[in-house]
Amino acid sequence: MKIIELKDIYFEYDREEGPVLRDFSLEEEAGEAVILRGGNGSGKTTLLRILNGLSFPQKGSYAFKGEKIDRDHLADNGRAKRFHKSVGYLFQNPDTMLFNSSVYDEIAFGPRQMGLRDEEADRRVEDLLSLFELRDIRDRVPYHLSGGQKKLVALASVVALDPEVLTLDEPFADLEKKRAAWLLDFLKELKASGRTLMIASHRDDLAGELNGREIEMRSL
Amino acid sequence: MQPMLPEWMKTSEEYVPPGDGGAFYYRTLRSLGGIMSRLRVESGREGRCSLPAWLKLLVLILYILLMSLARDRLCIMGLAAAGLMVLAMMPAKDIWSVLRPALLAGGLAAVLFAPAVIMDPGRLSNSLMVVVKVIMSVTAVGIFNRRTQWNHVTAALRRFRVPGVVIFLIDITFRFIVLLGNLMTEMLTALQLRSVGRNRKKYDSVGGIMGTVFLRGSEMNREMYEAMQCRGFTDDYKGL
Amino acid sequence: MHIPENYLSPASCAVMTAAAVPVWVHSVKKVKEVLPRDKIAMIGVGAAFSFLSMMFNVPLVGGTTGHAVGGTLIALLFGPEAACLGVSVALLLQAVLFGDGGILAFGANCFNMAFVLPFAGYGIYSLIMKGTSADARPGRAYAAAAIGSYVGICAAAFCCAVEFGIQPELFHDAAGNALYCPYDLSIAIPAMMIPHMAVAGVVEAAFTVAVYAFVRKTAPDMTYEAIRDRLPVREESKKGRFPVYALVAVLIAAVPLGLLATGTAWGEWGADEIAETAETGSPLGYTPKGMEDGFSLDVLMPDYTLGEVSEAVAYIISAVTGTALLIIIFKLLSIPLKGKNAANAS
Repeated sequence: MKIIELKDIYFEYDREEGPVLRDFSLEEEAGEAVILRGGNGSGKTTLLRILNGLSFPQKGSYAFKGEKIDRDHLADNGRAKRFHKSVGYLFQNPDTMLFNSSVYDEIAFGPRQMGLRDEEADRRVEDLLSLFELRDIRDRVPYHLSGGQKKLVALASVVALDPEVLTLDEPFADLEKKRAAWLLDFLKELKASGRTLMIASHRDDLAGELNGREIEMRSL
Repeated sequence: MQPMLPEWMKTSEEYVPPGDGGAFYYRTLRSLGGIMSRLRVESGREGRCSLPAWLKLLVLILYILLMSLARDRLCIMGLAAAGLMVLAMMPAKDIWSVLRPALLAGGLAAVLFAPAVIMDPGRLSNSLMVVVKVIMSVTAVGIFNRRTQWNHVTAALRRFRVPGVVIFLIDITFRFIVLLGNLMTEMLTALQLRSVGRNRKKYDSVGGIMGTVFLRGSEMNREMYEAMQCRGFTDDYKGL
Repeated sequence: MHIPENYLSPASCAVMTAAAVPVWVHSVKKVKEVLPRDKIAMIGVGAAFSFLSMMFNVPLVGGTTGHAVGGTLIALLFGPEAACLGVSVALLLQAVLFGDGGILAFGANCFNMAFVLPFAGYGIYSLIMKGTSADARPGRAYAAAAIGSYVGICAAAFCCAVEFGIQPELFHDAAGNALYCPYDLSIAIPAMMIPHMAVAGVVEAAFTVAVYAFVRKTAPDMTYEAIRDRLPVREESKKGRFPVYALVAVLIAAVPLGLLATGTAWGEWGADEIAETAETGSPLGYTPKGMEDGFSLDVLMPDYTLGEVSEAVAYIISAVTGTALLIIIFKLLSIPLKGKNAANAS
């Protein structure tokens, strides 16, 4: 089943700067891992934003599980919640994502927004705190953490939604070796469990490790 | 492509800095940024057997209330003695950071009362009582701040049925102050490290930094909203 | 022994303050040099012992009251210089908050109780202990502490008596009526010395030895000998602060006992009382001029009381306030200035 279908995307932030993406098409099967490669300004982040419904292309179409995603579609709160629950997005800068007053609340934010029962949300947070080895910092203020810790908390808060598709923007940046190795194993587990991955990363070995497909993006 | 260093980078240079002004602006802005980023929301150290935050908040409110309502000396001095005792048990560094604002406030109150006391010396003792009240109330707040993590306070507010939006606003206000303060300090440090020569446009760059901080602030605001959306936030504040 | 406002002429006050200043300067220097930071913070506890001991008034012969000072005790714990600072700050609080001892006479009071007393007391102690240590000869150390503190308080009382006694000779009006303290040396010296030698000195010695022994047992690193000779700190002594604080708390709870002694200490009469005093056999019959229109200051808790409320409660509140303030002040003094700047820069 095709989970993501992008057809002839054209996107520009600004008329004068010109397009960031042009005639860009991409299809991804459920359970596949796609690694986005390319230099700075090649449109990786833009592509991830489009996939998450944060930016909308000027031309072309984006379908998620066969449903066309555009402004009108996401204007309905119920549909928007369902869509965002299915697609998780790890921002490149974790600071952006950390706005709660404790690590615990940060991870619980998504599940609570989704309307999960309190016990269920608590259970998920507790599980993730153990899984990500964040127990010691559960009461800390997220934006006072170190870069690597921020990244992990941000990722945990995305995983808490239990999304089918994870779109990750440079997940390995800021991580020390040990944590990076752990994250790679974690991504492998995610893939093995049937989740779809879309990762923008500079790592050469990622496609091989995750048995995924590399897509080379170029600046226009 | 092999990087080629330009000729001037291959020789070492003797650098004598020309005299330069503008240090004042740097220092002012940097200390401002420093204060902002040092506003550590979790600076409150909670002892192992610390009372829960909501109870401390309750005691604090009660203390300030009693302090401001108390009329006779016994009550005021008794409350003051209790407050001082708690303060005396804190580590030296914390005591100073608690006491400094309290003494400033007390000094201000004393200055305000000074004319009245000079006109009528009989009011001295009552005025002194007010000064004591001011000092001890500020001290109590200071002790509370030092001994309680801010995020636990907001959690305590939640317990007192303060609406989620209000708490969320408090939380993200702190977040912005800290993050923008960090940004400002970093940029000013970078600017200072780089401006080795005489720089006539120094004030321009200082203005530029303030502008950037402002722009970055609104950008962060937008990004945060997007991040919230991505995790299912649909402008519905009830779930906060 | 607290000289009140207007018992000494302003000129005498100035002279005594001038005499106290070099002692303070020397003490600050020496304390900074010898004592580690955490010990400076602990001087506050020593000063609290002194402050509290001064609240226990004991009835003296002749209808007046007196109290221990505890200066020698602080000297035994932290050295005579630290005792000087500790007692000085305690006296300052008493003068400013509780109206015990005059503000103008602060220098004179410090000279007697913060300089003469601990230095004399500790000097005697050291003389007796020469060539041995408290650990080697604890019995001798306690005896030395008792004798030192006894001599210390008597020496201080003597200085105080002299300061009182020279006032009528130096300052009187045309009619021969004294402007300030009306009693001369022949009355002041016996009036101060006899009760202090008979009662207050004994109380001081007992208090000093009792607390010193208690501290030596529970927190052996808190003695001046250990600090000065840099004795290795024994492990068990590190956690030993609790009993010391507990003792402070017990003393605070017990201060109302100090109220049992009624009457005013010799030389501490209010301006309204002094005309009736009859030290020479007949009432004095007048209020010295300098006292009638002298300097006076409203304080928060005059004579450790709060108007009509229960004296005992007010006394305890005073004790808590004084103790807390002393601990706070010395904790603040222990903050290194340089370290603070470094912390700001980082």
